[in-house]
Amino acid sequence: MPNPLLDRHFLERLERLTIHWQRSFPGLVGGHNRSNFAGGGQEFLDHRNYHSGDDLRAVNWRAFMRLDKMFLKMFQIEPRVPVRLLLDTSVSMSATGTPNKFDYALQLAASLCYVGLVRLDTIEVLPFSNAIHEGKTCGGGRHRFTPLSRFLEGLKPAGSTNFLAVSRQFLNDFPQRGLVIVISDFLDEAGCEKALQYIGDYGNELMLIQLWADEDRTPPWSGEFDFVDAESNARLHIHVDADARRHYTEAFDLFSASIKTVAMRNNGKYTGLPTSLSLEEAIFGSMARTRSIA
Amino acid sequence: MEFLNLTLAQFLVTFGAVAAFSVALYLLDRTRRRLVVSTLRFWVTPGQPAPVSRNRKVNQPLSLLLQLLGMLLLLLAIAEFQFGGTLNKRRDHVLVLDTSAWMGASLPGANNGNTLMDLVRANALGWLRAVPPSDRVLVVRADGLATPATSWESDRRKIARAILESQPGATALNLSQNLEFARELQRQSGATAGEIVYAGPGRISAREANSMSLPPIPAFRILNVDDTVENAGLRSVGARRSDTDPGTWDILVRVRNYGKTARLANVTLNFGKAPMGLHPLELAPGAEKETVFKVRTRAAGILEARLYPKDAFAADNYAALELPEQRVLHVVAYTDQPDLMRPALASDPRVNAEFRPKSQYTPANDGLVILDRFHPQTSPQGNVLWIDPPSDKPPIPIRERVEKPEGLRWIPDQPLTEGLRARNTQIESASVFEMGPGTQRIAEIEKGPVLVARTSDDGKTRTVVIGFNPFAGTMRYELTTPLLLANILRWMEPGVFREVDVATQSTGAVSAPVPAALTRPAERNAVQVLTDNGTVLPFNIRDRAVQFFAGEPARVRVIAGNSERVFSLTLPEMWDTKWTAPTNARKGVPAWTDTFRRSHTIWPWLALAGLGLLLAEWIIYGNFASSRIHVVKSASVKSGLGSAA
Repeated sequence: MPNPLLDRHFLERLERLTIHWQRSFPGLVGGHNRSNFAGGGQEFLDHRNYHSGDDLRAVNWRAFMRLDKMFLKMFQIEPRVPVRLLLDTSVSMSATGTPNKFDYALQLAASLCYVGLVRLDTIEVLPFSNAIHEGKTCGGGRHRFTPLSRFLEGLKPAGSTNFLAVSRQFLNDFPQRGLVIVISDFLDEAGCEKALQYIGDYGNELMLIQLWADEDRTPPWSGEFDFVDAESNARLHIHVDADARRHYTEAFDLFSASIKTVAMRNNGKYTGLPTSLSLEEAIFGSMARTRSIA
Repeated sequence: MEFLNLTLAQFLVTFGAVAAFSVALYLLDRTRRRLVVSTLRFWVTPGQPAPVSRNRKVNQPLSLLLQLLGMLLLLLAIAEFQFGGTLNKRRDHVLVLDTSAWMGASLPGANNGNTLMDLVRANALGWLRAVPPSDRVLVVRADGLATPATSWESDRRKIARAILESQPGATALNLSQNLEFARELQRQSGATAGEIVYAGPGRISAREANSMSLPPIPAFRILNVDDTVENAGLRSVGARRSDTDPGTWDILVRVRNYGKTARLANVTLNFGKAPMGLHPLELAPGAEKETVFKVRTRAAGILEARLYPKDAFAADNYAALELPEQRVLHVVAYTDQPDLMRPALASDPRVNAEFRPKSQYTPANDGLVILDRFHPQTSPQGNVLWIDPPSDKPPIPIRERVEKPEGLRWIPDQPLTEGLRARNTQIESASVFEMGPGTQRIAEIEKGPVLVARTSDDGKTRTVVIGFNPFAGTMRYELTTPLLLANILRWMEPGVFREVDVATQSTGAVSAPVPAALTRPAERNAVQVLTDNGTVLPFNIRDRAVQFFAGEPARVRVIAGNSERVFSLTLPEMWDTKWTAPTNARKGVPAWTDTFRRSHTIWPWLALAGLGLLLAEWIIYGNFASSRIHVVKSASVKSGLGSAA
């Protein structure tokens, strides 16, 4: 059955990708690094006595036959770099564009999660608007993608964006450093740069993915308009002409540059994606060029 | 301006409704629109004032204007708007169809008998087919006169019938008069003047060519025909009594070569079907020659002139004229001295004088009776000349008898005293008459009239009484006596002594010389122009000539005093030169594109213009404009991606 968010052919193409980050986190590795902690890994570490309730699959039956005593095999635990994906679900994400930014963000998040699942990374999907809502942790292989997909499909855009509150909540809930992927339009009336800087200052690596609809950057309209802010319901009476449109685009590009500056300043990555760009081109083109994924 | 499909009220109501609907849609579409956007932050540049809304009620007024104009043009097309009203739209054309005599000439190389007239008819019908159906046409048959063949007519069948029924006339083309007539018709029609179309070869007389003044014609079209026809024809045939032999007619025949090559023409003359002679004439191109025949006859008869060989135009190869009988006045003179009177009467061959003694007197009289000093018992019938009548029972009462009178004076301005200028003529004796009613004084002395004339009350008989004997004394040797006698004879029987000229020439304008005395206004009553059936033709006397016009073949008599000219107008009036059309005149049958250009049907253009305006408005302001911006925008986004990466 084809996945409603991503089709099978696209998923097959995603399987050869890996999420990349630049920073080295002490004690944490990616899917290909060994760990000294015992746990449910693939590599044998030691034996211990069997206690009631242990997984019988880990009992060393050869030793039991020879010694008539049950020993449990212990394997290396492979602590992973935590990957957290902050997904903007504010109303602004669905205000404009065809497809709108929210749908595009869901597809992009699903794609990144699938890449992570294939590489056995654990990704915490955290939807947010003015606060972080209930998330979903996905890990353990590609067969775990379907629950994640259902989770994403269940998300609805609501609320206004408050990056500062979200960053505070994030730092409180997730003190362990890791890779923070933010998929958002970053349209917060209070500004998002300081909040993003907080997250970076706590040792997290930032991968900022800015989405915009075409009319968000280059509005096509001319004439008299009564613009309504999708999140705050603020109104602006304005006459749009070529001059106004040019100034708007310049301001938008300046804003995008400031977000990019935050990412660069924290050794992170920035990718700007218009929703008119196909998802395939966005991942295999734009994000690959920024080495966010490869 | 007018609408064919809608009334003005319907048009205004419809356009008002459409315009109101359009404006309402426009206001809904182009007024301030509410739009939900992701953010407002980029519309307001930090540190700069927010863009000020201009609060205009109507944005893009040019768009609204284009829409309204486009719909107006489309509605005008639906209503079939036309410039000019029904009357102004309809144009009136005049077709001047050449029906001059020359149109009867056969076409060069045509064996089926087709003439130039057939060619002109075909051209005219071709032009008629190209005339817009709503236009009216008036057909004028043009020869020496302009004759309307139709009224202002839009029924093409009637016009075609008038064209097909047009036949060559007998006169030459008077083009300027016909065109002036056509122009005047157009002025009076009240509608927009269309074309004046002349269909014909444009052959005109030299008289018209020398004084041609065409009226200003804004739209003049010429349907020319090729008339290079070799033709030689009789110009005129004239007959005049010979000055030397009263029994002989001098027949003058004039022939012209109208062709472009020299030719030998043979002129034959027949009188009463008896051949009178054949004269060959060498004619250079455009040359005119004359030849004289002599025909001896006193009888009346038909004189026929023929021209050989036959050519393409047969109408001018034959002419006939009727020679009148040569009359003689029978004069019976009762005199005892015939030798004195004979020389005066024998000098004129038109007088047959018979001298009788008084004893043989008889009152019978078939001409003129001269009673020389003799008074019969019974007065003679008819015209009588009394010479010195006896005092008993004179025809005019005698007042007294005067011996050797002096101071004889002739009363001037009388037919009987024409040419008598002698004074102090010696007379032996004379009777002085009593003037009564109806008595005309001719000559007088101091004591009264001595020569009187009288016409009977019924005007049939005339009497002249001479109170003296002009053949006695010294007067017999003077010129006065034969002159007086000649005047008396001419006055008694003017028909005998009238100089008769017979001529056959072409119809149309005719000019005949008259004596100078008759050109005075007081004498114009002595001039008459009559046809054979007694119809009086209007005439004008100018330059000592009587000028009149005969539009069709006829025999016309011009009587001017003692002369009579008989015109047998049976020859066609021929052209002298070819008219050169003005350079700005249109030539030939108009093409259908010309007809379409002149057509007043403009609704297709209005519809195209309206659609064009709406299309332009859509391209500039409509959805097309948005999609174009969209494409540009995508490109800029991609370039922005590259810079961002």
